[in-house]
Parts: sequence; C-alpha cells; structure tokens
Amino acid sequence: MATCTYTVPDKNATGDNFYGAVICNQAYIDYFWNTYGFKGNKTYWDDGWGWDDCCNVNKPLARAFNGCYALTYSADDYLNDSYSSPILNWGRRYVRENIDNLRCFCGDGTAIARSKGGGLVEVYLGFFYTKDVPGRAETLIHESRHQGGKPHDANFPAGSTFGGGKSGADSSWGYEGAWMYGALYLWWYYAVGARTTSALRERARQRGNVVIDNAFATHPGFSI
Amino acid sequence: MLTSRSPDTPFVGSPDTLQVKVVEHPFSFRGSQNKQLNGLIVEAVNRMGGVGEDAEENYRRAVSALKRHADEALDIIAAEYETLPEDRYLDRWSLVQLLSDLRNPKAVKVLNRIIGTRIPPEKAKQSHDFSTVTEEVIIRTTAVEGVVRLSADDVVEARKVLLRYAGHRMFSIRRASVQGLMETGTDEDRKELRAKLKKAGQEGLLKIRRLDVQQVPQATGGRFLVHPDVKEELPPHNLGSEES
Repeated sequence: MATCTYTVPDKNATGDNFYGAVICNQAYIDYFWNTYGFKGNKTYWDDGWGWDDCCNVNKPLARAFNGCYALTYSADDYLNDSYSSPILNWGRRYVRENIDNLRCFCGDGTAIARSKGGGLVEVYLGFFYTKDVPGRAETLIHESRHQGGKPHDANFPAGSTFGGGKSGADSSWGYEGAWMYGALYLWWYYAVGARTTSALRERARQRGNVVIDNAFATHPGFSI
Repeated sequence: MLTSRSPDTPFVGSPDTLQVKVVEHPFSFRGSQNKQLNGLIVEAVNRMGGVGEDAEENYRRAVSALKRHADEALDIIAAEYETLPEDRYLDRWSLVQLLSDLRNPKAVKVLNRIIGTRIPPEKAKQSHDFSTVTEEVIIRTTAVEGVVRLSADDVVEARKVLLRYAGHRMFSIRRASVQGLMETGTDEDRKELRAKLKKAGQEGLLKIRRLDVQQVPQATGGRFLVHPDVKEELPPHNLGSEES
C-alpha cells in the first residue's frame, strides 16, 4: 500500500471543473462505472480516490469520469460507434470492449498508465493530474490497444523526445499500434471534436504531432 | 447476465490512499497587483477547458476581454510562465496557448524566448508513456504555432523567428517551424529556408506534409470479439443542460 498526496488547482486548463458539472448525474455515473472497467473495483477507487465523492473533480474518480465523458461524447454523432466510422466515434467502443478492470494507484511517477493484460489497466496520479480531459481519453485508447493484442514493437528513433534507442515505440503507422490509435484519436479530436474549445483541440494537435514525430521508428511522413 | 468477475467486495490487503490539497488556481501573480487583469487571465485559462455547445463561445469571450488589456496582459502572462514550477507542464502550456490566442505582435519576443529556452534533461527516463522532454517540446511547438499565426498576420519578426528555429536541435520544433514558414512566409523567406535546410542536410523536413485526417490510413478497430458483459445503452450527452 502507498499513500500519496497531490495539490490540485481548482481553476486551470484541464477542463475538469466544466466536465465535472456535466458528469455529476447518476445516469452518467452508472454508465461510466458499468461500462469502462470501474465495476468490481470499488476498493481501488475508495480511500481518497473518490468513490464516496464521485462528483468532486479534485478527486481522481470524477476526473476519470470526465475522461470517459470526452471519450463517449466528443464525436458530433456519438451514437454511431461503428468500426467503419472515425476512431473519434468508435474509440469508446474499443475501450469498453478491451478494458475489463480499471484500477488506480499512486504509481512511482514513471508512468501515466500500464496495461497489465487480461483486461486490467492501471492508471496512476499523472493520468488524473497531468493529463487534460481529452488526454485521458487518449490514454484509455492507447492502453486498450495493448489489451487488444498490440504491444510496442520497436525502439524510439534517434533524437526522439521519448528517448532515442529505448524500447516502447511502434515500428510504423501501418503497424496500427497504441501510438497510432492515440495519435489518430487526437487528430480526429482536433479536426472535428465536438462540445470543446479551440484551445483544447489545438493541444490535441500539438500532442498528436509530437507523437507522430517521436513515437514511430519510421516517421509516417505526414503531420496534423 | 452473470460475469466471471467478483462484485464490489473488499479484498484482503490495502489499496493505495490519496490525499488531495486544493488551491484556487496555479498562478502566483507575485509581480502583478492588478487583480482585475489577473482575474481575466485565470478566467481565460479556465475557459480553455470548457465543455458543451457554448464552450468555444465562452472561451472566445474570455480571450476578447483580455485583448482589451493586451500589452499589460502579455507582461503578466510572461512573468507567470517564468514563475511556474517546471513540472506544471499543463499550466505552462495554457499560458503559451493564451499568448498564441491573443495574437498580439508584441508576443513574438516572449514566444521566441520560450522556444529558445534550454530543454531540461529527461526526468522520467524509465517511462515509455510519459516524458518530461515531450511535455517541454509540446509547450515549444505550441509557441511556434503562436509565431506562425503572427507570421500569417504579416509580422516580419515572426518569420525571422521561424527561420531561426528551423534549425532547432529538436525534430518537432524544426518540423513545426519549417511547415509554418512554408505556409505563411514570403517567397524570399521560403528561398532562404530551403537554402538553410540544404546546407544542414535537412531537406527531408520539406517532405513532411500537413494532411487532413481523412487522407491518412485509418485504424481498424473491429478485429476483436465484443466483450460479453452487458453494456447498457448510453445516456444523451446533455442531461445536465436539459435539467437546468
């Protein structure tokens, strides 16, 4: 067991206080809890993580729900989650089909999230407090792709911001790995993300571009 | 339907415990006594994260209010950027985005300084999904985008900045500067840029094209079986607004 502390600014650019006002509705809480892997994991989301205070966006559970709201409703036609539609539409479906258990831990500061196999994904403090709301949706998609059977298969290229020569990259865009899923989600969010601001869409573009530039052994040759 | 998972029963052993401390906003405003302007900056940064049909309109309104005090606001934002702790990446980014959205020619100097500031060594060396260098680069490419916007507004100094950072040591900053100058510079700027890239053996940057998302290969999501758990129908996106 670990005990961790975090200082949370009430008003900053994560979007949590605005999303929080929306998700504080029993219909959303029930849907997210039952759909995205929280169910069966109450013990993890208790003890300061927000289980008994799930509308309080200073606590992790509500911030995770905010990410789930962005994941679920950022496509204008969100009811269409067909795999023939853009990933902005079916990202939510992919996450719900691949994450069975979503659990929270303090972590040691070296990761945002980890895919443990067997449908289990762990999320750490950085997921709640260094990621903005759509960034959390991107992380869930990234980890879902690992659950879907695609590990990273290459080393980061020389000069990569993630550390040239380290393992953890994808070989190419065409490998359709976790980095491609995440970058493509951000790209669609930038292009047509609904019910958000131009600033957060621009942030999605900047993060997506840095992923494209640095997380593939072979650069795809395009940018957002 | 029964699932193979256990219900929400306590288990033997202890999960992690978290204690949260809340502060009103991330800024100190040590150098600014102008409470009204400080409040407008907090409001604009806060509105960046808005959600809902009126999120963009609310953000634009907050930026417009700030534009009426742009000169003083630039100084305060620049000072706050310098004051924030290094690891407040999102908060630092939000100030750079605000500088970009203010679209004020005087911001070139501040944005130039931000892009050119040395990137601290990686602090998360063991991680593959989090990188402090990546966060620093995102802040700087956002600053580059701010300069690109000013270049598009015919601010000559902005083009000089883009040309300078077309030779930055970080690939993404080079790529963003090259694309920005190619899109917003004059013929003379483009000629000078090409010559610079040729001399540095970096002409490959010119081949990286900005595309529409519909033009790139898409992901194939439906390769796996649907999980057998019952998934309830999702509620509409605007329950809160319907009730209020």
